[in-house]
Amino acid sequence: MKQNKTMQGYLLNTVVIVVLFAAFQMLTAAYGGSGSFKLVIAPCLWQCCYLIILAASLNLVLGFLGQLSLGHCGFMAIGAYTAALLSLACERSEVFKNANDPVYLVIIFACILAAGVLSALVGLLVGIPALRLKGDYLAIITLGFGMIIVNIINNLPFCGQDGLALGSASASLYKNGLGFGSKSKVTFLWVALLTTIVCMTMMFMFIRSKYGRCIRAIRDDEIAASASGINTSFYKVMTFAYSAFFAGVAGALYACANATLSTSSFAFTNGGILNSTFIVVMVVLGGMGSLTGSVVAAVVMFLVNYQIKNGAWVALLPASVQGVFQYPMLVYAILLIIIIVFRPKGIFGAYEFSLRNLPADLKASRARKAAEKAERKEAGAHV
Amino acid sequence: MKRKRLLSILLALSLAASLTACGGSGESSAPAVDGESAAPAESSGEPILIGTISPNTGNLAAYGTAVTTGAALAVEEINAAGGLLGRQLEIINADDQYDPTECLNAFNSLVSQGVGLIVGSVTSGCTSAITGAANEEEVCLITPTSTADSITTEDDFVFRSCYADSFQGAIAAAYAKQAGYDKVGMVYCAADTYSKGLYDSFSAACETYGVEVAAVESTASMDVQDYTNQFAAMVNAGVQFVYAPFYYDVIGPYLVTQARAAGYTGVIMGADGYDTTPDYVVDGADLTAFNNVYWTNHYDPADTSEKSVAFVSAYEAKYGNTPSAFAALAYDCVMMYKAAIEAAGSADPVEVRDTLAADGVVYDCITGTYSLDETGTPVKGASIIAFEAGTGADGKPAVVSKLLDVVTELPQA
Amino acid sequence: MSTFIQTLFVGLRLGSIYALVALGYTMVYGIIRLINFAHGDFIMVGGYTMIFTVPAVLALGLPAWAAVIAAIAVCALVGMGTELIAYRPVRKKGTKMTALITAIAMSLLLENLAQAIPAIGPNPKVASQIFTAGGISFAGVTLEYTTLLTIVISAIVMVVLFQFTQRTKLGRAMRCVSEDKEAATLMGINVNHTILATFAIGSGLAAVAALMYMAQYPKIYTTMGSLLGLKAFVSAVLGGIGIIPGAVLGGIVIGLVESFTTSYVSSSMADAFVFLILIVVLVLKPAGILGKNVGEKV
Repeated sequence: MKQNKTMQGYLLNTVVIVVLFAAFQMLTAAYGGSGSFKLVIAPCLWQCCYLIILAASLNLVLGFLGQLSLGHCGFMAIGAYTAALLSLACERSEVFKNANDPVYLVIIFACILAAGVLSALVGLLVGIPALRLKGDYLAIITLGFGMIIVNIINNLPFCGQDGLALGSASASLYKNGLGFGSKSKVTFLWVALLTTIVCMTMMFMFIRSKYGRCIRAIRDDEIAASASGINTSFYKVMTFAYSAFFAGVAGALYACANATLSTSSFAFTNGGILNSTFIVVMVVLGGMGSLTGSVVAAVVMFLVNYQIKNGAWVALLPASVQGVFQYPMLVYAILLIIIIVFRPKGIFGAYEFSLRNLPADLKASRARKAAEKAERKEAGAHV
Repeated sequence: MKRKRLLSILLALSLAASLTACGGSGESSAPAVDGESAAPAESSGEPILIGTISPNTGNLAAYGTAVTTGAALAVEEINAAGGLLGRQLEIINADDQYDPTECLNAFNSLVSQGVGLIVGSVTSGCTSAITGAANEEEVCLITPTSTADSITTEDDFVFRSCYADSFQGAIAAAYAKQAGYDKVGMVYCAADTYSKGLYDSFSAACETYGVEVAAVESTASMDVQDYTNQFAAMVNAGVQFVYAPFYYDVIGPYLVTQARAAGYTGVIMGADGYDTTPDYVVDGADLTAFNNVYWTNHYDPADTSEKSVAFVSAYEAKYGNTPSAFAALAYDCVMMYKAAIEAAGSADPVEVRDTLAADGVVYDCITGTYSLDETGTPVKGASIIAFEAGTGADGKPAVVSKLLDVVTELPQA
Repeated sequence: MSTFIQTLFVGLRLGSIYALVALGYTMVYGIIRLINFAHGDFIMVGGYTMIFTVPAVLALGLPAWAAVIAAIAVCALVGMGTELIAYRPVRKKGTKMTALITAIAMSLLLENLAQAIPAIGPNPKVASQIFTAGGISFAGVTLEYTTLLTIVISAIVMVVLFQFTQRTKLGRAMRCVSEDKEAATLMGINVNHTILATFAIGSGLAAVAALMYMAQYPKIYTTMGSLLGLKAFVSAVLGGIGIIPGAVLGGIVIGLVESFTTSYVSSSMADAFVFLILIVVLVLKPAGILGKNVGEKV
């Protein structure tokens, strides 16, 4: 019976995702050429895609394993540079000539995969000290790893400031390598969406599997978990590596979407939303231990950031408010505090959105609310 | 509880609605700012839109402010004189926060508002994120200050009003050679695009001119506060000329004083980042430390030419401070558009581009009278400026700038 | 030899600053177990307060450093305000992680609010000289008096704080709150007041750190707190976070490592080496240099 329900759930999800994806493809085909889609919606979707993967992958470590990692962008940097360099190497050795080459598609996915694998290997390295440390000590170690990675990339002759951020390499990354221009961003939008769907599915499967249950057991009580025969060291390192894999994939998408790389984007002191602390913010905001929450939070955070800066509606606000909106990060910080005060457990808490369970969840929620109301009434009556 | 939910739903809805609204505005060429209805771009009443992209907030906000004020001044002057082709200019500022992704977002947002002529961005790192897109979207881009060589080499729609790194570094190397230093040292930041770019061009030029680079030290980031160890290494290497491409906020309060404290007495040479250093010197510090500090710049604020004086006084009247080279270069970008639009007789980006790319157009600007070479970089001279302890305008001791030389052509090896 | 001494002095100079900042970090962390990301920004607040009050102080005929009194007051107020507006409501409702996010958001808010204030603006400001220049010379290298002073102040603050937490009533209450909030409440300690007092002291310390920072590195800008705070936080963790002498030790160690790497290993990789050393130390001693490994109760 239970098996049946799970199968139903999978089937439902698959059908909905396939239908949505197909609908999206048709929309893209219909409106892909128009200015606003090409200039606004497609780039936004690309950015959402890598932010979603980043937030969800950090949630594996933070929400499900219960370890604070402040160096997630380091893995992303590794992924971005790996993908970019690999694509350039392929172009220079003339594996493919231009984006119309059928081999190009293979190269894209190979680059994304390679980015993930290399990040995962480094993730293994980070995972090992994680065995001994906990809490804030672990946080500082991961932060240190993030800084080290950025510092090393800066000093590598083939990928630092003179490798990719600058020089003809950046231009050819755009022209020949993975870096997508506005048109290619529409043409290859399905790559970003497909990668995101596949990654999310892999992460969902991971947390629903035996491994996922084990790491949640470790989060809840490490000693009890190890007493029940769970090899905590193995699971911790594995989760770090698994999470780093997806961060690397997100990095590859970042490289595609930006066509130029600079380590300052991944640095801890970067003032924009792409920095390791903000990924933590996304996870906590979405709800630790809720992958769907991470997805929603990543999109919300992105939209808030984007809209404060580029939204046309800002022009309609009174002049005094507009003055404040000249400082997007200020508005962003205020919004963040408001959201946290109103929903301290995150948007979703530990709740996982599921299509199959949606009717039941809604019903339960309504029932709970009714009960709460009744309780309040009762309490009121007593007073 | 219910109210909170309502609030969050409202928030989400407004976000979604605004995204579509923002997207929708791309369809019409009218700027949303004044809510005019869509109309063909070439009608005479429509203003010509000029966008600026610069880091208006964040770590480099000082540069963003300089660029937006410089461009705004130019637009104001043009409008006061009757506009271009009978149309007024309208400026739309966009903020890139010194981040390549945000820069691309800002670019896309400007283009979707119908902007075809853009001034920006400020840093080479950000500009390189949008050059390809500018080419693809057929939007003109003149960057005021991105000096990295590669910015203009690959793309047809990208120009600049400043010189390139290779020229700036080479001038410094040529100056070292000319002043008789055979052995030089370098302190730079390997993690910064600007610093690293100048490091590359300076060391390449040293090789050409037969100057030995005896010691190279770097910093881990541009946020480092202490340069003493680096200069102690220079003293140990026995060099008397150090090339240190950093920005004014490091040179004024930290680098020069610390270098002298470490016992280094020789020449410190830098580039356009040294501009406005005298405003960032510690009150009460030993100003003689700034003797023997030289730098290359795009223009000389003390220039006595009529145009330059008019610009400096107009800027001071409007904003209350001396314009930096960044402001002057941004002003020049708008002036280049003005010249090109007038020559082309149209504000269409493609026609403006063709005029900018055509040979032989001479731009008479604040930072020099120049034409563009085949990559879109001005062929113009650089001023070599020296700092020295002196007396400021208010009669108090201050670091003052003195024009040493104007180099228009690189000497032969 | 002179290179060695020079490097040592630079390390002490950096380290003494990190130590002073780390004391404030460790103070707050020790009580409420919250990495106060905004602490670096309190230093920025202190710095700007001094920039604006030094002329007034000089006009009164007082020495420039007296401006620190105003800075301490402003910082303490900002610290308490942060606690009241942001940390307290969230602490009531949320988890440890939400508190951390609030700290990040507060840091962001302070940095950007400062930038939005016209008198501060995005341009950095340069302080006037606070202490007269000069120092003691060894082998041709000068150890600045300000460096010595910073070390002395760090030591004094360390001793005072240590005694304060050990002997005074409020200090004991703080330690009590840090150990068990519920039990502290039962003992008649007003937990909220105690935490508020902790914030006032920790933020006041930030103003002192700002003074010494300005005396040696006279540039104040809105985002100065992020990297400085980060290094100080690393120092506090290295020494054993929550342990007052550990913060000073950690600060000095980080400063020395940074300086010696710059001179002897690689100047462009200094950050990487600082963190590498940190990782090695923490892997060998997971609770920091002075931290005690507490076995977990089952």
